[in-house]
Amino acid sequence: MKSEVMVGNKAVAYAAKLARVNLISAYPITPQTTIVQYLSEFVASNDLDAEFVNVEGEITAQLACMAGSIAGARAFTATSGPGLLYMHHALFGTARYRCPVVMAVANRGVRTMGPDHTDLMAQRDTGWIQMYCENNQEVIDTGIMAYRIGEDERVRLPVAYGLDGYVLSYTAEPVMIPDQGEVDEFLPPFKSLYPVLPEDFDKEIEDYKRHWGEGRSIDEHFTPYPADENYSHLTMVKWGAGHDLQWRWRAHQEALTRAKQVIKEIDEEYGRRFGRSYGGLVDEYRCDDAEVVLVAMGTIASTARVAIDNMCKEGKSIGLVKLKTIRPFPAEEFQRIGRGVKAIGVLDRNISLGEGGVAYNSIRSAMYGLEERPLVCGFHIGLAGNEVRVKNIERIGNKTLKAASTMKCEPPVTWV
Amino acid sequence: MSKKMTIFDIPEEEAVWPGNPACQGCTGSIVGRLVYKALGRNSVRVEVASCAPGFMNIRVPSFYAPAFEGAGAFLTGLARGYKLINREDVTIAGLIGDGGTVDIGFQGLSAAAERNENIFWFTYDNEAYMNTGGQRSSATPRQARTTTTPISQVNRGKVEEKKNVPFIIALHRVPYVSTASVAYPEDLIAKTQYGKKLKGFKYMHIHSPCPTGWGVNPKDAIKVSRLSVESGLWPLYEILDGRQFRLTFKPKKLKPVSEALKLQGRFRHLSEKEIADIQERTEQNWNKLLALDGGEIC
Repeated sequence: MKSEVMVGNKAVAYAAKLARVNLISAYPITPQTTIVQYLSEFVASNDLDAEFVNVEGEITAQLACMAGSIAGARAFTATSGPGLLYMHHALFGTARYRCPVVMAVANRGVRTMGPDHTDLMAQRDTGWIQMYCENNQEVIDTGIMAYRIGEDERVRLPVAYGLDGYVLSYTAEPVMIPDQGEVDEFLPPFKSLYPVLPEDFDKEIEDYKRHWGEGRSIDEHFTPYPADENYSHLTMVKWGAGHDLQWRWRAHQEALTRAKQVIKEIDEEYGRRFGRSYGGLVDEYRCDDAEVVLVAMGTIASTARVAIDNMCKEGKSIGLVKLKTIRPFPAEEFQRIGRGVKAIGVLDRNISLGEGGVAYNSIRSAMYGLEERPLVCGFHIGLAGNEVRVKNIERIGNKTLKAASTMKCEPPVTWV
Repeated sequence: MSKKMTIFDIPEEEAVWPGNPACQGCTGSIVGRLVYKALGRNSVRVEVASCAPGFMNIRVPSFYAPAFEGAGAFLTGLARGYKLINREDVTIAGLIGDGGTVDIGFQGLSAAAERNENIFWFTYDNEAYMNTGGQRSSATPRQARTTTTPISQVNRGKVEEKKNVPFIIALHRVPYVSTASVAYPEDLIAKTQYGKKLKGFKYMHIHSPCPTGWGVNPKDAIKVSRLSVESGLWPLYEILDGRQFRLTFKPKKLKPVSEALKLQGRFRHLSEKEIADIQERTEQNWNKLLALDGGEIC
């Protein structure tokens, strides 16, 4: 294992290279652009043997990855902010076809250039797994783990991982680069589950007809993921109803739910092999016996660690939960954490307009199942790339501590 | 260039199952049958939103690109993916409607052509958005009635000319561009088989009357297409390497356009003067193509 001082975008490119991606398709957008440039250099210098598709936009970048993955390619793309919004339509397709494409998102505001998680958070209903990183080391490690998670037989879903634009994408930090040999042991080659070979078509279609003809269901093992609408006339499924059957949605939801366990397992295995792990779904910092915890995502978690250290030094009982994976949402983890604390302060660098912070609302919703619920206080911070300082987070911590002692959070949501 | 073919040279093996739920007289389903007859079963099919995904029973691995605008990119991804699994022998073909080609899919089409991806793009052109009930597209010819260019006292159908996509694609300097018609299956199959052997981007634009949308008696669908070719409304040609132009059907004398137009409800409103105007434009265009025949487009 060697180390190098590199910017976040280079860490993304290294992760893709180490994962031996063989299909890359992306369109440049600030602050993601250099990811594509680094990868172009790897391909041009023969350090990476991959098909590189220079597309003309983000929708097509995603579609090229999706189709390549169907055929058997390990596909990678990267985008940011408005580019991700332009890709939105295609994201549903990649997830629906259960293609384990991996995408890096240099998080950028959708109305400004600054770092902001609203771009990726706005894609949270597309059926992708979503993870966030707090430093460049985590970026390279997550970029490798993402393929293991997405390609796991229990999951088979695309994975997006976010790195805060500029703060990580254009900022250099020392990063340990895993050895290729060890990554190869961790990550076996990819194989598509689709029936793509023309010579197998007749057999595949017979299997498919038999499956439905025998009245078998989604719960029984069923090899390929055929595009139903193309075979609906054979299986006598009505075209309209056969177009996107409800069971496909259920299967998708179940796969995302199973992914919670898979993510934890793979994160632990990565830790055993490479010596670094990130808690999988959530990473708890100084949470033992803490009276209150703060929840943060991305680089704000990194700033929050300093604030938590300062406050603990002052004798305050406060910990940090880094929310690493927001889809699937780790409701059970938060219920466990919620049982042991009096208040949770949630820092959202995103907003679902008309409702509020996405993490805040999801965590509050998870608490509802508890008999004794902690208070949940919401904080909007760092939107549109607003700077987030240690003292801001200390103030949030004090406010949450005060809420815990008075059993009242007033106002429930604060704009920092 | 493609070789002249007779009906006896058409392959016997069918790639489609019998029966489909398309409208009566649908020529789109005939296009699908002919194209995959010519390509053979060692191929894959991509479709985007159009009538085709609903009625096509083609026995090759089939994929529905889940974005209307995405045929070019989806075909690209498949072509690269099949290359990665060492199966470049498989023909990656798309059966795309005129909307998915000339309008919403145009950006991705142009980009795939510019990258010279190893794919074969078939446009079955019924000259409007027929799957949604016949709204105008930029492939709709001038003066045609559609549901968004209705006829009234002040409106005489579509105002603009049909977008000339085969020439636009040819100017991307791709290996093969051609036009075809369902009424000329030998020509269509010969061109498909010729294009299939080439590496790089291949494009075929196929005249495909829609009886439902055009107001044509279903039994006359092929006749309309044949008359369109014979009258010069739909010239059959091919363009090699984006330069060399060749007409593949040259009648000694063009039939009057009125013969084709009068069979179509979408042109029922035309006055004698308007038909004469279309006749004149068609002849001008035909003469330009005759002058190009055997030479280079530019």
